[in-house]
Amino acid sequence: MADVVLNLVGKLYAGNIRAVSDVSFAVPDGGFCVLVGPSGCGKSTLLRMIAGLETVTDGEISIAGRVVNRIEPMHRDIAMVFQNYALYPHMSVYDNMAYGLRNRKTPEAEIAARVAEAARILELEPYLKRRPKQLSGGQRQRVAMGRAIVRKPQVFLFDEPLSNLDAKLRGQMRVEIKTLQRQLGVTSVYVTHDQLEAMTLADMLVVMNRGRIEQIGEPLYLYENPATIFVAEFIGAPPMNMIGLDPAVGIPAGLSGAESLPVPPTGAMLGIRPEHLHLDRGDGERGSRLRLELKIDAIEAVGAETYFYGHLGSTGPRLVVREAGRGVVPTDGARAFLADRAHIHLFDKASGRRIEM
Amino acid sequence: MEKRTVFSHKLLPYALLAPQLLVTIVFFYWPAGQAVYQSFLIQDAFGISTEFVWFENYRSLFSDPAYYSALGVTALFSTVVTVLSLSFALILAVEADKSLKGAGIYKTLLIWPYAVAPAVAGVLWLFMFQPSLGVFGKMLNAAGFNWNPYLNSGDAFALVTAAAVWKQISYNFLFFLAGLQSIPKSLIEAAAIDGAGPTRRFWSIVFPMLSPTAFYLLTVNIVYVFFDTFGIIHTVTRGGPAGATTTLVYKVFSDGQAGGDLGTSAAESVILMLIVIGLTALQFRFIERKVTY
Ligand SMILES: Nc1ncnc2c1ncn2[C@@H]1O[C@H](COP(=O)(O)OP(=O)(O)OP(=O)(O)O)[C@@H](O)[C@H]1O
Ligand SMILES: [Mg+2]
Repeated sequence: MADVVLNLVGKLYAGNIRAVSDVSFAVPDGGFCVLVGPSGCGKSTLLRMIAGLETVTDGEISIAGRVVNRIEPMHRDIAMVFQNYALYPHMSVYDNMAYGLRNRKTPEAEIAARVAEAARILELEPYLKRRPKQLSGGQRQRVAMGRAIVRKPQVFLFDEPLSNLDAKLRGQMRVEIKTLQRQLGVTSVYVTHDQLEAMTLADMLVVMNRGRIEQIGEPLYLYENPATIFVAEFIGAPPMNMIGLDPAVGIPAGLSGAESLPVPPTGAMLGIRPEHLHLDRGDGERGSRLRLELKIDAIEAVGAETYFYGHLGSTGPRLVVREAGRGVVPTDGARAFLADRAHIHLFDKASGRRIEM
Repeated sequence: MEKRTVFSHKLLPYALLAPQLLVTIVFFYWPAGQAVYQSFLIQDAFGISTEFVWFENYRSLFSDPAYYSALGVTALFSTVVTVLSLSFALILAVEADKSLKGAGIYKTLLIWPYAVAPAVAGVLWLFMFQPSLGVFGKMLNAAGFNWNPYLNSGDAFALVTAAAVWKQISYNFLFFLAGLQSIPKSLIEAAAIDGAGPTRRFWSIVFPMLSPTAFYLLTVNIVYVFFDTFGIIHTVTRGGPAGATTTLVYKVFSDGQAGGDLGTSAAESVILMLIVIGLTALQFRFIERKVTY
């Protein structure tokens, strides 16, 4: 029964290096919170402050209602999975998992039972006697997970645990982590810079940029309602198409239907996701939809969907379109695409913030 | 992973090895062979006639109480110096690894003794602990200890030991520090989260991970005590008083050089060589089996 609450947390490293500022959020008991953001945005710093491996220089962190700012890592009742796994190289897999329990004076019989249980869940039974060096990357990752779960902590902390694995294994482990977390119901905070991992794992997504929070919410809510240009561009692959609108210059060539958009005097960014652009087959009503004429540079048909790459009005910003199925369009052709009003996003160019329409 | 280089020319690898082989042959195998040969000879007092006597030199050596005394001194000396210099070095390295303020100066100062030649180190310590002139020697006597390394064998042994330890700490310190710094920080952090306090972290994580370094240093230190401490002993005590600081290597010198008994001296050096080869082989086998991760 543990929630994790951060209240205006900040971190100033020695040498006046500001890594995190004014971070506040609350992970409910059993919740899976993912911190995502580009490299250097302060995710690890934040996680390490929750773990107690870095001092908190501003604000307050509480776990299960208890402020932990001054509490040693070992007394926070947390477990952490490190990016490089940090397995003890001189101990067997069994001893690696048992280490934390032995430190807490757990009876050997119970240790054996708990390790056996974790080994069963993680399919590590054949490897218990081996040293970490004698395991594959994926198996090491499981041992690191095992070491975390045998302790039955109140909170799991993960710092990019899958980034050393190949793409296929990463996908597989992602599902396993999610399933395991559901089963155990342990509150988790997970750091990644992979937006796909973030979207699929999180109940609650925290997008960070330069030490600050850009937006917090459910992954799909953020996908559909990005609060800032940063979030819009960071979440989703391929990223959202962005078209600059400058009242002083006028509507860009190739774009029509955008005249009525509430563009501020300082300019705006018009955002449309690749899947919200549809080929204009010239058969339906255009209605209030936006029409974009693209000069197509390249087409990629990957089976279930087709990607069109091109430039708006031939010299404008580069755009990507994702169509379901197999579109048949000759390369180098000019094509028109339509976007629904309901699916377009508008951001203030100066502040980067979303403009509600 | 094993690294392999394939040479296109058959002779090239031998040509590249030649300088190293030459040095080893000229400075090791040749003198070693000479020593073995010498140990089978007895020379008369004037060095005019030599006689081939097979193992006679060895037989007389093993019936000489002075030889057993030197063996005992060597065993005690190497144990004490190795244990002390490794322990002090480890403590200092652990402190330096905490990267306190001024750690750079601290490290530099700790490395200096290594640059001092053994004989000079011996003179330095003798200078400080000379009973009537040395700063610390005078202090000890003023404090009521009857300090005199010239007459008291315990004092002599302590002084030689201190100089030898002081000189070897630097080397051990450097290796321990490098060993400590190669332990990933996340291991220590994982152990901290796993509920291990600083002391337990040291003994259960840091120390085992340092053991390859420690075993290497053990070999190096024993060889150091066996041979390199000669300079210290020669300048501080000349093996005295009454053989209290005569180690095996010092006995090789005093019998051969000062006593002019080349046959016995050669036999001693052959035995010394065998002891060191044996110890090294033992340790390397142990290292290969036990301490690789
Ligand atoms: N010990 C430290 N001392 C000073 N500055 C630090 C320290 N650790 C991190 N920083 C700085 O703090 C900022 C945030 O670092 P952090 O490691 O939290 O980033 P991150 O979001 O985890 O990035 P990545 O995805 O690359 O792991 C960076 O600018 C980094 O240079
Ligand atoms: Mg990081």
